[in-house]
Amino acid sequence: MRRRALPLTALVLPLALPFVLVTGGGARAADADAVARGGYIFQAAGCLGCHTNEKAGGAPLTGGRALATPFGTFFTPNITPDPVHGIGRWSDADFLRAFREGVRPDGAALFPAFPYASYTRMTDRDLLDLKAYLFAQKPQPVANRPHDLSPPFSWRFLVPGWQLLYMTAGPVADDPSKPAAWNRGRYLVDALGHCGECHTPRSLLGGLDQSRYLAGTPDGPDGDKVPNITPHPAKGLGKWSDSDLAMLLELGLKPDGDVAGGGMGEVVRNTTSKLTAEDRAAIVTYLRGVPPKE
Amino acid sequence: MNNRVVNALAAASLSALLVAGFGGMAGAADPADMVKERQQTMKKLGGGMGAVAKFVKNEGGTQEDAAKGAEAVLAVAKMDAKAVFPTGTAVGVGDSAAKPELWQNWSAAEEKWKAMQPAAMKLAEAIKGGDRAQIGQALGATSKTCGGCHEDFRVKKQ
Ligand code: HEC
Ligand code: HEC
Ligand code: HEC
Repeated sequence: MRRRALPLTALVLPLALPFVLVTGGGARAADADAVARGGYIFQAAGCLGCHTNEKAGGAPLTGGRALATPFGTFFTPNITPDPVHGIGRWSDADFLRAFREGVRPDGAALFPAFPYASYTRMTDRDLLDLKAYLFAQKPQPVANRPHDLSPPFSWRFLVPGWQLLYMTAGPVADDPSKPAAWNRGRYLVDALGHCGECHTPRSLLGGLDQSRYLAGTPDGPDGDKVPNITPHPAKGLGKWSDSDLAMLLELGLKPDGDVAGGGMGEVVRNTTSKLTAEDRAAIVTYLRGVPPKE
Repeated sequence: MNNRVVNALAAASLSALLVAGFGGMAGAADPADMVKERQQTMKKLGGGMGAVAKFVKNEGGTQEDAAKGAEAVLAVAKMDAKAVFPTGTAVGVGDSAAKPELWQNWSAAEEKWKAMQPAAMKLAEAIKGGDRAQIGQALGATSKTCGGCHEDFRVKKQ
């Protein structure tokens, strides 16, 4: 059967195409493409882990995962397309604004524990594909749990001040003097993978200290010590070969045979192991070129 | 004296009391030594995985080294989880990086430990076959069993 399927569709497709376009099925086919592309973005951006309470057996994307921070504990919201408990009523513009500016449809600011200061660099197309993917998932009527934060960190009205200090909204143009792989790598690291949210140390107010970009921190999420991933020969990954780095991203395996755990275990499982080999190589190319830091 | 040393001492003397109380049931092993021993055991796993990785990456490792590496992983995987993770060796004892949750969720931890065995067996088999792509896949499956436990039950230090 399988062998026959191919020529058959090849024959039928050109005939069916005009029909599909007329009946509006073309839009659906385009939607399916967007959903598939969005699924890849979803993995590359690592949404699943934060928005799923895996330990308690929560359904994917229904939130409720506790994120312990120095400012208190955040509980991630439900991002299934449920109209009441999820984001089912969000328009495209709502979605773009949340990621681009860190603002909810009701106008309130979102806490930067949702790493929109990185996602703000995503392209419109990637964001809309991502939305298409999320809206193709099953709506789940799971109520959100309020965050457990201590003032003043619980005051949403202070967040716009933080945004002014620490966030530059919008995508960053490709650097034409650099190869395509470098630009793709930067996009994967800074916009989608939000690697700096863990690997770059934070100031007292929780903004990233960009002078120490990717230089590691002893105060990572969940008390993790997060290593320096700049090419510094002693303190960073200067001694790692390109294939060492690629293997860490694909399998979590380090050159000494140790296997990354902590927050990185999840990043490898949900994100970097799911990328195409080409995208992993782009990340390696980019990481090789960031300024080495002690 | 730093905190870690004080903690280790406190834990050691506490467990000495317990041991004395129960008539020396647990033997004379010092918890800090047990932690060291576990870390050596883990290093053997790392050494084994590293040898296979070197071969897969084509960075000078021979197929024979890779086979030895997989054997080493398999040998450790056959150890009893209780012997590797004796109670009273969580963070705070020596320089242990094992989360207390490992013992609180013992059956899950033990399951993760046992999952290494079939993975390591497949790895050894793949190496005999000699196909780099297949070995790479088996290596990935094995490192998943390591990473799964590290993610849940190991704190990141240093
Ligand atoms: C590091 C953890 C983390 C990651 C990664 C993350 N989020 Fe979130 N997200 C949060 C937290 C925490 C909030 C709640 C922020 C608040 O209450 O202001 C949130 C809020 C949201 C909201 C707003 C929901 C609402 O009802 O207000 C949306 C939509 C969302 N996230 C989607 C995503 C998508 C899609 C991704 C992947 C591209 C993602 N998040 C990645 C932690 C995360
Ligand atoms: C949720 C926090 C988090 C995020 C996000 C994150 N990392 Fe990591 N990363 C860690 C931690 C923690 C470790 C140490 C893991 C271990 O050794 O068990 C680590 C380790 C690494 C290592 C190994 C370095 C070494 O010296 O062992 C590399 C390389 C790396 N990360 C790259 C990345 C890249 C690239 C991204 C973005 C795609 C990323 N990380 C995103 C937390 C994170
Ligand atoms: C059942 C859980 C579990 C499994 C499975 C596991 N580990 Fe570990 N591993 C740990 C814990 C816990 C530590 C921290 C030990 C300590 O500091 O006392 C650790 C530490 C390590 C270390 C660091 C040792 C040191 O020098 O401090 C290496 C290397 C390592 N593991 C490699 C591996 C490899 C490779 C595998 C898979 C082949 C693996 N582990 C499987 C739980 C596990």
